[in-house]
Amino acid sequence: MIGDSGIISRRQFIITTAAGVAIGLAGYPPFLRAAEEVDLAVISGEPAAATRKALEVVGGVARFMKKGQRVIIKPNMSFARTPDFAATTHPQVVVAVAQACIDAGAREVLVLDHTLQRAELCLERAGIRDACRSLPGVHVLALQDRKFFREIRIPQGKVLDRVEVLTDLLDNAVLINVPVAKSHSTTGVSLGLKGLMGLIWDRESFHFQFNINQGIADLATVIKPQLTILDATRAMVSGGPGGPGDVKKPNLIIAGADPVAVDSYGVGIVPWYGRNLKGRQVEHLLAAHQRGLGKIDVEKLRIYKGTV
Amino acid sequence: MRKTVQALSLLLFTAFFALATYRLPDWFPADLYLRIDPLLGLNALLASREMIGRVLWSLILIGATLAVGRFFCAYVCPLGAAIDGFDFLLFRKVGRAVLRTDSTLRRWKYVLLFLFLATAATGVSLVYLMDPIALLTRFYTFFLYPLLITIINLLLDLLRPLFQGLGWATLAHLHYPQPVYYMMAVTLMIFGAVIAFNRLAPRFWCRYLCPLGALLSLISPLGVFRRRVSPECNRCMVCREGCPMGAIGEDPFKTGSADCIQCRECAGICPQKAISFPASFSGVGEYSGPDLSRRGFVYSVGGGLTLGFLSLRTPFTSLQGKRQLIRPPGALPETAFLRTCIRCGECMKSCVTNTLQPSLWESGFSGLWTPKLELRMAACEPNCNVCGKVCPTQAIRSLSMEEKTHAKIGTAVLRKETCLVWAQNKMCLICDEICPYNAIVFRPVEGYRRPVVIASRCNGCGYCEQRCPVRGESAIVVAPDGEIRLAEGSYIREAKKLQLEFKLDPGDDKYLLEESGFKVEQGSKEEKSVPADKPISRKPKGFL
Repeated sequence: MIGDSGIISRRQFIITTAAGVAIGLAGYPPFLRAAEEVDLAVISGEPAAATRKALEVVGGVARFMKKGQRVIIKPNMSFARTPDFAATTHPQVVVAVAQACIDAGAREVLVLDHTLQRAELCLERAGIRDACRSLPGVHVLALQDRKFFREIRIPQGKVLDRVEVLTDLLDNAVLINVPVAKSHSTTGVSLGLKGLMGLIWDRESFHFQFNINQGIADLATVIKPQLTILDATRAMVSGGPGGPGDVKKPNLIIAGADPVAVDSYGVGIVPWYGRNLKGRQVEHLLAAHQRGLGKIDVEKLRIYKGTV
Repeated sequence: MRKTVQALSLLLFTAFFALATYRLPDWFPADLYLRIDPLLGLNALLASREMIGRVLWSLILIGATLAVGRFFCAYVCPLGAAIDGFDFLLFRKVGRAVLRTDSTLRRWKYVLLFLFLATAATGVSLVYLMDPIALLTRFYTFFLYPLLITIINLLLDLLRPLFQGLGWATLAHLHYPQPVYYMMAVTLMIFGAVIAFNRLAPRFWCRYLCPLGALLSLISPLGVFRRRVSPECNRCMVCREGCPMGAIGEDPFKTGSADCIQCRECAGICPQKAISFPASFSGVGEYSGPDLSRRGFVYSVGGGLTLGFLSLRTPFTSLQGKRQLIRPPGALPETAFLRTCIRCGECMKSCVTNTLQPSLWESGFSGLWTPKLELRMAACEPNCNVCGKVCPTQAIRSLSMEEKTHAKIGTAVLRKETCLVWAQNKMCLICDEICPYNAIVFRPVEGYRRPVVIASRCNGCGYCEQRCPVRGESAIVVAPDGEIRLAEGSYIREAKKLQLEFKLDPGDDKYLLEESGFKVEQGSKEEKSVPADKPISRKPKGFL
């Protein structure tokens, strides 16, 4: 193809370049998938590998944070239960997210939850602290004292106009929500949005002073995770949130920037309490969607499905 | 030398105390000091009329005292060390003459010893009031430990801005849960009195009051090491003035062998270097037993029996088991429990949730300071079995985690008049959410789903009572009804026999649909592909 003169002609240059690009595109390399905007990454596989893949598909953690920034990871480690109960986030999922944040240049990664049971016991049993021990710059902390919370206003609140949230959230940090998929005796399911209640001080009032589903939607107007990674490697489909309950193994990681979309997809992956349901049927998800906090109809989402 | 050993012993006592947490390994005897105390052991054996394995540890101290003498008080006793320490701090410069009533006071400890033992013989455990190890453990639990946590948290708060500035995230978020206890002030006053008495005479407590010292002094004159004064003595009486126990009388050659604690203070201060403590195997020598008259002995035994009568013949005894008192899991049947418990407070110190609290008058005089659960404040943690592990007399049996799960301490009772769901039709499910055993289910009653306790699944942990959002008294209260109290044998077998089931395993259980929190009203949208084996009539809570 090279001309007699030994110089590449313009035509030849264009053709070879185009061919190269075409071959490259046919191979569908990761960087192109990353660049292509998807709403959700749904990856099936082992917890750590699936999480890494899901992060890659949504464009990498770097897309959601700046170098040197502080990252807060919010897993569910509210109960002193071992991971097999599916009441808490799988430790390997948290490790994979934390590692990705460190690799992307996070100054510090705080893995935080306001636990329901004694902090020390939760940290011990959930296994997340142990799993993160080898990661420098990653701190797993359970906070149970009011001094770590500060009151903020909820301008768009319908049932709540103020709430005390973890002070660390107010410090320009990136929030990555890493909930576990489980049933909940009050809210139907406890996924990403319900998990936000682990970042506030007073949760009791949600259960009797006002409608909890509207309360969660109120909360979602002020606590906005940049990224939600739903750990559905196991799902406790009854007996939640504390268990013991019926544990299914969907083996899925669902990641996305839209918290309502992630949860809505999560509703559809397993039958809850023995019946198939949709995101729209979950009261707090519908409330959040109606406030314009995210898309709820799974059919309208751009979803990348993969297996590792 | 002696001071170093004393300080080390106090340190060891403190370390063992600190190690009594829910993380305690099964093999580690965190209650070592309490176990080797022969007075506590003797008291528990007498009062309970049962053989207690851990009490055999006290043979170590009895043997050592028989061989060596009353060295325990000078070298090992942590309360003795604390008394000497405070003496040095507070009363070093105070001139203290020999008390005129010295010889009378000296009898007091024997009076107390026989009084407590006689009380124990009636089945009332009372020696804890004055046993030095139990007394100090209580002081540590109810005062020193909460104080320490307060100070640490204050320091952490003070330094927090610094930690934040340095980016030390873990330290910046560090906070220890503050333990709180009833009877703090009383415990502090008793310890304060023990120290304050030193103003009158050095080691006032040990000389005149300590019943353990009295017990040891009964056998200590048989020991091998005895004070010997050589003829070089010029009767300067420095030793008599310097003896912390006042064991040297008008004649410096003679030693009150019951009172001598072998501290060798006299040998150190003798200007003539005339005093030594050689080993002598010449038999008993001059055994001076307790200088307690027959009359004194009769009085103390009579007093003890009276105390026993007074504490037992009350309505509290008849009402045992009929009061709202939740005992720790594995606690012996109530009567045996009251007899065996030595009120050291070790279980309450180690309790991970702080729910174990000392009783006041809930079960009368014979139940003072015994542990009870304050479930409105904190629950009994399913993953913890430490209270039995640290109990030196096994008034709370040391149980494996599985056994402990089956040692039911009570049953939750719903009070429909105050329950938000039953009384006000509100949407509250906190008790159900927190219950570790799924013992609370929702059932449709009068057109609304309402919580119901499944008694056979409830082991009384109290998470529901603690979390109930109703102000004031909880709308779900754990009552002692259904508690399992076994003196011996397996709780698992007993629970099986009673057809109880406490599930902590995730398992593959399919919980009944009606129990999973479905709303009563039928939904408008019908769902597709319902599994055939699960007939669906209602939707779970939170779904539309």
